[in-house]
Amino acid sequence: MSSENLVKRLPNDIAGTVCSDKINIVERSLYPWEKRCHALLDVLDYHKIVNTEEKRRGTESIGTEMAAKLSYYEKWIVSASNVLLQKGLISPNDIANKTKEVSDRYGVTL
Amino acid sequence: MSNNHDHSHEEHAEITHDEKPGYYEILEISIREILIEKQLIKAEEIRKQIEVLDSRSPVLGSKLVAKAWLDDAFRERLLADGNSAAEEMGITIYDDTAFTVLEDTETLHHMIVCTLCSCYPRAVLGLPPDWYKSKEYRIRAVHEPRAVLKEFGTVIPNSVQIQINDSTANQRYMVLPLRPKGSENFTIDQLEAIVTRDAMIGVALISL
Repeated sequence: MSSENLVKRLPNDIAGTVCSDKINIVERSLYPWEKRCHALLDVLDYHKIVNTEEKRRGTESIGTEMAAKLSYYEKWIVSASNVLLQKGLISPNDIANKTKEVSDRYGVTL
Repeated sequence: MSNNHDHSHEEHAEITHDEKPGYYEILEISIREILIEKQLIKAEEIRKQIEVLDSRSPVLGSKLVAKAWLDDAFRERLLADGNSAAEEMGITIYDDTAFTVLEDTETLHHMIVCTLCSCYPRAVLGLPPDWYKSKEYRIRAVHEPRAVLKEFGTVIPNSVQIQINDSTANQRYMVLPLRPKGSENFTIDQLEAIVTRDAMIGVALISL
């Protein structure tokens, strides 16, 4: 297969590609963190800190492996973190320190 | 059931969330707290937005459908300009997105998808189900809709054309389903009660 197919179709442009898997028709409500994540991105969009297009672009440029392995909201929070870092609004140290504080708070080892 | 292999969303659904937070939840909590500490956002805004998310549900869409079934003039306005008709009912289509309602007829059935991501008329239907966002639905809806519908238990006769409508960031769709036979004397409340989210996406028909 020639590589130009990679160029013609971005990773998220999947309509009509090969798929024989059945649709997993389950209902579940959002986990609390997912709802908070959705609300967070809405608030960031409202304030034009990370707008919806930037978030979308972040989830689309996450790479095919992460795109396949992360769930919907996992992609959102990673995308938002990346955009915030890229814009210099938060620093890697901010994230390192705060995730350590939060994981200690819950008795979790990251 | 499905035969997803790797990267299935089933794996995520099986994790119980009354346990300790995982990596992504810790990241979410951390990003939120950092942004609040830097005064870029307020905790109150997150809380309020969660309430807004909770307030949106398919009940809103069902009100548009029921009214369209009973009121021909409203139906015409709804089909001509979904944004304005929704505003009439107190529903704001935020984001400046175009909101178009597609009418099913005896010879035409509509289905909604977003092949690129998960664009969905959240303002009238609330949050989309996982399957709408799944790669299986996004890949297959556009080129084998009848097979997809069959998995939902929906059979559309061959005499009825199926139109698949691909949503975008700027264009959201909702289906105005056929009013079922036998509902002729229903009150508006009764009509609202029979309209399902899946019928407004177009993967199900409304029956009594």
